[in-house]
Amino acid sequence: MSLPDEPERRGFSRRAFIKGASVAAVTSAGVAAANLAQAPQEPKSFAIGEHEVELKINGQQRKLKVETRTTLLDALRDRLDLTGAKKICDRGACGGCTVHVDGHAVNSCMMLAIDAIGSEVTTIESLTQGEQVHPLVQNFATCDAMQCGFCTPGMVMSSLACLQRRGKPTREQVQHDLSGNICRCGTYGRIFEAVERTAEGATK
Amino acid sequence: MSNVEQPRPGEVELKVGFPGHYETRKFQVPEGDAPPWDANTKFTVVGSDEPRVDGVMKASGRAKYSYDVTFKGILYGMILRSPVARGKLTGLELDEARSMPGVAAVLALKELGNKVRFVGDEIAAVAAPTLDQCRDAIEKIRATYESEAHNVDFLSAEDGPLVDDSGEYTEPWAEDSGMEKALAESKVQLTGTYRTEVQTHSSLETHGAVAKWNGADLELWASTQATFGVRGEIAQAMQAAKVKCDSVTLHAEFVGGGFGSKFSGGAETRAVALLAHATQTPVKLMLDRFEEHTCTGNRPASLMHIRAGLSADGILTAWDWRSFGGCGHNGGGGGVAMPNHFLNTAKKRTTHKDIATDTDPARPMRAPGHPQGFFGAELFLDELAAKAGIDPLELRRKNDQQPIRQAQYTLGSETFGWQAGRNPKPGSPMPGDDARYLRGVGMATARWGTLGSHGGRTPHAALCRIHQDGGVETRNGAQDIGVGNKTMMAILTAEELGIPVANVKAVMGHTSDPSGPASGGSTTTPSIAPAVRLAAYQAKLELGKLAAKHLDISEDKITWAGGKIGADGKWLTFAEACKLIGPNPIEARGQRFPNYKGEPIENGVCGVQFAEVLVDTWTGLVKVTRMLALQDCGVVIAKKTAESQVLGAMIQGISYALYEQRLMDKRSGRMLNGDFLRYKVIGSIDMPPMQAILQTVFNGHSNTSAAGLGEPPSVAAPAAIANAVFNAIGVAVRHLPITPDKVLRALNQRGGN
Ligand code: FES
Ligand code: FES
Repeated sequence: MSLPDEPERRGFSRRAFIKGASVAAVTSAGVAAANLAQAPQEPKSFAIGEHEVELKINGQQRKLKVETRTTLLDALRDRLDLTGAKKICDRGACGGCTVHVDGHAVNSCMMLAIDAIGSEVTTIESLTQGEQVHPLVQNFATCDAMQCGFCTPGMVMSSLACLQRRGKPTREQVQHDLSGNICRCGTYGRIFEAVERTAEGATK
Repeated sequence: MSNVEQPRPGEVELKVGFPGHYETRKFQVPEGDAPPWDANTKFTVVGSDEPRVDGVMKASGRAKYSYDVTFKGILYGMILRSPVARGKLTGLELDEARSMPGVAAVLALKELGNKVRFVGDEIAAVAAPTLDQCRDAIEKIRATYESEAHNVDFLSAEDGPLVDDSGEYTEPWAEDSGMEKALAESKVQLTGTYRTEVQTHSSLETHGAVAKWNGADLELWASTQATFGVRGEIAQAMQAAKVKCDSVTLHAEFVGGGFGSKFSGGAETRAVALLAHATQTPVKLMLDRFEEHTCTGNRPASLMHIRAGLSADGILTAWDWRSFGGCGHNGGGGGVAMPNHFLNTAKKRTTHKDIATDTDPARPMRAPGHPQGFFGAELFLDELAAKAGIDPLELRRKNDQQPIRQAQYTLGSETFGWQAGRNPKPGSPMPGDDARYLRGVGMATARWGTLGSHGGRTPHAALCRIHQDGGVETRNGAQDIGVGNKTMMAILTAEELGIPVANVKAVMGHTSDPSGPASGGSTTTPSIAPAVRLAAYQAKLELGKLAAKHLDISEDKITWAGGKIGADGKWLTFAEACKLIGPNPIEARGQRFPNYKGEPIENGVCGVQFAEVLVDTWTGLVKVTRMLALQDCGVVIAKKTAESQVLGAMIQGISYALYEQRLMDKRSGRMLNGDFLRYKVIGSIDMPPMQAILQTVFNGHSNTSAAGLGEPPSVAAPAAIANAVFNAIGVAVRHLPITPDKVLRALNQRGGN
């Protein structure tokens, strides 16, 4: 199968890396290196142990205590009670913990919280404003693109990245962009439909 | 539903069956039940496309799973597990772990001298403020073991089945002159050995719970598919702390999958209750992915050896079957099921033996025994059909007496394009295809034998409340593990009361509500639905009484039509009638009566599935290119969620047929692929287009005729795919999963490429 063009990813997932032979992995690692090269950040070093840090999450500056080894996922869930992102594999293999970091879909279990300092982190929670939900969320519900729903927030965030990058993705592109997300209940087909409905502008 | 009819206990005639096959049968309706629906009933929302009631909650990430529940100051728990597959615990030193920063409790889960039964057996548990601190503490526990020789492969077990290099089972058949005669008299005979590997449930929310003590009372948020069962289990386990069932409340409002692995709270739920008790602080203990793969059960491996004979007119006349289950250390749960619906007149013999290995025990997994047994039997049938020169679909039609499946054969072959899809020359490319690829289609059947029950020793029940502001609640204490039970409850209540589904709030997952079943055996919906409907019906009668009094008409004249209540030109809207209620809601309980006496159309449900595959002869890779399922599930209540379940089962079926297998390191006894990197579960790239056609069948066994749907659609998919591969390449791959190495070996056997 020919690969649709590879979305830029900030960082790379352990899964894609271990896939090894896949073209996607090579490209995404390459892009990551390029990104880092053009945006050198103020190097800040942390001694091993706990630190109070500030992260920008869903547009808000949040103060929290993390250890240097604490993942962004654990920080979001256990320190800030943002429990939409799920820890399913903790190894970059399932996409259940997907959040956006500076606009790119990232497995938050594969990123340290301290590495998110200075970045914009966006979580599934940002797609709800009062009673209003993002059309993509609505379309997931309309298409019944879920069963147990445990993979769903991660699927929504990966789908959102797909839509933001591609506008009107083809079916093959949707399949490709969601290939890092596992759904055990088997809801893929209806997820594709929800993404396509959203691309077509459906909001109900 | 219009008109409140008075309950009609006693013998009633119901129009049962399905389109093209209706008949009137007599059933005994118990006193106090709602008048049963049948094929004459006109529905408003039952069977419609109503969305899942908690769909937005889930998609927006707001649904709180047990794993998401937290409290200020909560501690995390973690379990130390055995690295030894078999032996005993000889030393356990916990003090150093206790002195680690933050550590609040360290508990032994095994005593010295206790047996260690598999890699992953629980040894000790810790609680600390962060997972990182738990991990540090676990590393400081010193456990020593006396290990014994272990075996993790059932084919290497002393009492395991003997197979030769080609994978054929080699033991001679036990003597049975009747069987030999039946075989000798048949026109075509075949013998074959079929195997399947261990599959893990791989629920995405791992097992575990949050425990919080309030004085002597324990509150648990558990990831479980048996709220009441786990409550009882934990109360029992905590007897020493004077805990009884009435002091344990269990919540499972959202559950991230179970598939049969979450009936028991297990060591992790006991451990978290103990840790919370010891620290008098809420504790959360959720397993990690490796633990989930290795310590929470699996679908065991199997080996089936089959021989059978076919008469000249294509009827199965002899069926000789022996099977083995490759199980865990308790040596149980490995039974396999076969399609008995084809063996109506055949001389039949079956034997089965479970073989123990030093691994995590089997647990029920979505249609236990069926995907493996049906894979063996239905692939065998296709090979037999090929040998006899009969179309395999025709072979099934001839041997199956169930009218529901007969209808599915016809509809399925037309919808799928069976004739056009079959590869006329298996092993050769289809006209128009690249010579590198071989295409083929296959089909297989399913049966699942339950219509739910009233609950065994004590009946299930549901609660319906109608409030003065028009709000309606429907409640049951069982869990919705993702199948859509809440949606089903809301739809039934809305139908009965003639109101929009959006006005009904369905609540499940709290043991403080009326009792319901474990989510197992596809019994949740058929067991709860009649109680839910009866509760709504009883509440409606109460509201009718208030309306009658208000309108000054007699109660027995009250009619419900078009969302209005009344009679003789005097009407109230539902909302107006609710205003008569006052601060205390109408509260009605509906009980699940036993299944009606009488003969249902089928004492279970039927299904047929079709699959098309494309086999790459260079790489051996199999791709499923389209699939179709036809599934009966009694009366379809929530169409969307029901379809999702069927589609999900088909998708899991592809995964089981082509990818999933637990790989064990024989030497260490440890699972080699206990993660999602190397344990391959189907992903978005592997998805073919698929279609699920639901068939409503009125069985007449309860007031709703609802049947179960969880397991039935997972029975046929792997077999249909294996048959499609056989049709494509002309050689049967008799060992799941059908991985490229096996396909290439089969292609070599064929002598081509
Ligand atoms: S939990 Fe992060 S990818 Fe699986
Ligand atoms: S909906 Fe259950 S894992 Fe995707």
